[in-house]
Amino acid sequence: MTALDISADGEGTVRGIRPPLHRGLWAACLLILVLGGSALLPANLLEIDASAIGRAPDPGHPFGTDSLGRDVAARTLAALAMSVKVGLVAATASTGIALLLSLAAASNRVADQAVGVLTELALGLPHFVLLIMIAYAMGGGTNGVVVAIAFTHWPRLARLLRHEAQGVAASDYVAASQALGRPAHWIARHHMAPHLAPHLIAGFVLIFPHAILHEAGLSFIGLGIEPHLPSIGVMLAESLREIIAGRWWVAVAPGAGLLLVALAFERFGEALRVAAEPPGGAS
Amino acid sequence: MTKLTAAVLCAAVFLSAPLSARPLVLAVGGEPDGGFDPLTGWGRYGNPLFQSTLLKRDADLTLEGDLATDWGLSEDGLIWSVTLREDARFSDGAPVTAEDVAFTFNTARDAGGLVDLQDFVAARATGPFTVDLELSAPRISFASRLATLGIVPAKSYGPGYAREPIGSGPFRMVEWQEGAQLVVEPNPYWHGGEVPFERVSFVFGSEDAGLALARTGVADVVAVPASQADAPPEGMRALHIETVDNRGLMFPMRPDTGERSAGGAPIGNDVTADRAIRVAVNQALDRDALVALALGGHGRPATGPADGLPWDNPDAGLAGNDPDAARATLEAAGWVDADGDGTREKDGLPARFAIVYPSSDSTRQALALGAAQQLRGIGITAEPAGRSWDEIGAMMHSNVVVFGWGAHDPSEVYNLYHGRFAAIDDFNPGYYDNPAVNAHLEAAESANDFAASLPHWRAAAWDGETGFGPRGDAAWAWMVNLEHSYWVSECLDMGPMQIHPHGHGFPITHDLPGWRWTCAE
Repeated sequence: MTALDISADGEGTVRGIRPPLHRGLWAACLLILVLGGSALLPANLLEIDASAIGRAPDPGHPFGTDSLGRDVAARTLAALAMSVKVGLVAATASTGIALLLSLAAASNRVADQAVGVLTELALGLPHFVLLIMIAYAMGGGTNGVVVAIAFTHWPRLARLLRHEAQGVAASDYVAASQALGRPAHWIARHHMAPHLAPHLIAGFVLIFPHAILHEAGLSFIGLGIEPHLPSIGVMLAESLREIIAGRWWVAVAPGAGLLLVALAFERFGEALRVAAEPPGGAS
Repeated sequence: MTKLTAAVLCAAVFLSAPLSARPLVLAVGGEPDGGFDPLTGWGRYGNPLFQSTLLKRDADLTLEGDLATDWGLSEDGLIWSVTLREDARFSDGAPVTAEDVAFTFNTARDAGGLVDLQDFVAARATGPFTVDLELSAPRISFASRLATLGIVPAKSYGPGYAREPIGSGPFRMVEWQEGAQLVVEPNPYWHGGEVPFERVSFVFGSEDAGLALARTGVADVVAVPASQADAPPEGMRALHIETVDNRGLMFPMRPDTGERSAGGAPIGNDVTADRAIRVAVNQALDRDALVALALGGHGRPATGPADGLPWDNPDAGLAGNDPDAARATLEAAGWVDADGDGTREKDGLPARFAIVYPSSDSTRQALALGAAQQLRGIGITAEPAGRSWDEIGAMMHSNVVVFGWGAHDPSEVYNLYHGRFAAIDDFNPGYYDNPAVNAHLEAAESANDFAASLPHWRAAAWDGETGFGPRGDAAWAWMVNLEHSYWVSECLDMGPMQIHPHGHGFPITHDLPGWRWTCAE
């Protein structure tokens, strides 16, 4: 890959920015809606209420109430906010790990080999099994979920970044900079960063929906967030039994909410990824 | 009344037995991990199926003879002398003798704590059908052991026993597919009469599998969650059985001095060490609302560890759902909300504690949430926290925990409240220790007969001055007694029922040999 190609790629991302922006707006709107809405939610809406157990949807409770009389709509909003927060922290940590490893790989050969092996190893392990093992070892809870997600979602992005970093490091202009006596941090800032940043952002946005889904998955099987706290996974797990008892509405709001948020970010991330990718390139 | 019922039942037996020999399918759980060996704990609840016990409890929980025809306690309360019936036989045809009884008790003692045989020294056969059981200290609740420990044959007991049990009980094993089902048939040598079912199958598996079996008409008795019990499928009726399967808040009694248990777990909680807090919690809890919230109405309020059992003392309780009294208690003890944040303080210490519940148990979760909500009204901030049982083991000496107990045996009360049992297993995690209560409990155990022990058990809860109950030390805030829900075939007559102990499912089999099928095939 030559300097010319890469600068052409850069141009390409600028030209193809419309769909990511469009989808980004959607995702951002959802994020603000969820976080803002849950922050403004009156606390009494999340309270248990023995007098309103298992109500079907009505104007007072648009998505009904659950087996402890809690409003499902309000609880879903709070649960989504919890998921989004967990997802943000875990995705940030995961992206950070990927970046650190790829930079380490770019620095010398031995580290590169080590990172390569580690990445392939992590990719080879079944994703959810590793997730469960880490969450279990951490004793469950919100922290366990965050750590488990952070330590399982980095390999794909790390592999991508490592390839990119290697490509840039082997390029003529980096060689030229080195010949001109530029220090390593200058090269990192002026050559590496501009090329890695788009991938990093796209990677982050792509990890985010996975983080949310896996948070829900872990909480669903009881290794995640404490069951009395609002969380999508917990709500879906509870709704299993409720559905058998005929209360279908308990599953609708959390299911649809999770789908909506995860899908919005997945599409946004996908658009970013396509934009960040060189035309016809594989990563 | 009981005699009349018994007579009617007897008549029913003779009338219905010929036409009702049929298979029975039960989905009530209860598969033992270690097989069907009484010496490793099998048969503590419900019917031991394959074995029989020296005594048994009837529907009123009165002890009656099963293998024993006569039993008595020596003057000093140390020797139980039991006379056996002579017609009892194991399912291989061998007679049940005093040697077998002595062997069972001595082997259970040596098996290392799997069967609760505290203070038991040794059993000796004093004749072919008489046996003496010797204790190191008087222990009236030892009678409960006589009613729960199934007798095994001395000759054929060995390593494979748990999988191929031989006993003098009403059934013998046909087949056991681990994790799937157990099939038994009547033991022709049983001394208790004829069992009117040609086979009984126990189907194990998830709750949902049991529900499915009931809906397809395969199962005759199914344990169901209370939330679904009220919609039985056609041909079945919902059965809600009263229990002493209770749930309550256990309070750590000691202040936090940095002390740690032998296992390294922290001990003590400065807030709950104050009696006023514990009493106020007892006064504030609206137990009827908790029954409605957490049990869907299928339960009753609990005030003690053994509500409605002979050793219960109703006077030890305090009226609940009385937030005003609770507030007065707190104010009088110096807990006031000076900074107006909704939580009272005393000497800078906020009235705040966690209510820990096992995260796998939705009923306890609901109780923790409900209690926390109610306590907020009196200025106590209780924060629910869901943890695994492993974690709870390390937290229970310093945190309020939603625990559940309930047994047909007063020794449980001893174990829960005697200082000697502080942090022994799960019994007295709060380190409750009141010399007066200890003395009452010991007096109860050393009573000469069961009736004479009852006043002492009751005095331990409240003797007019002190006690473990809410009027005294309020060591626990009991919340609810569950009801156990089942779907039962409309054709099945289960006769008079006991009040059930802790554990939803298998205890219903207690009187299985006496069940009758009332429909013609």
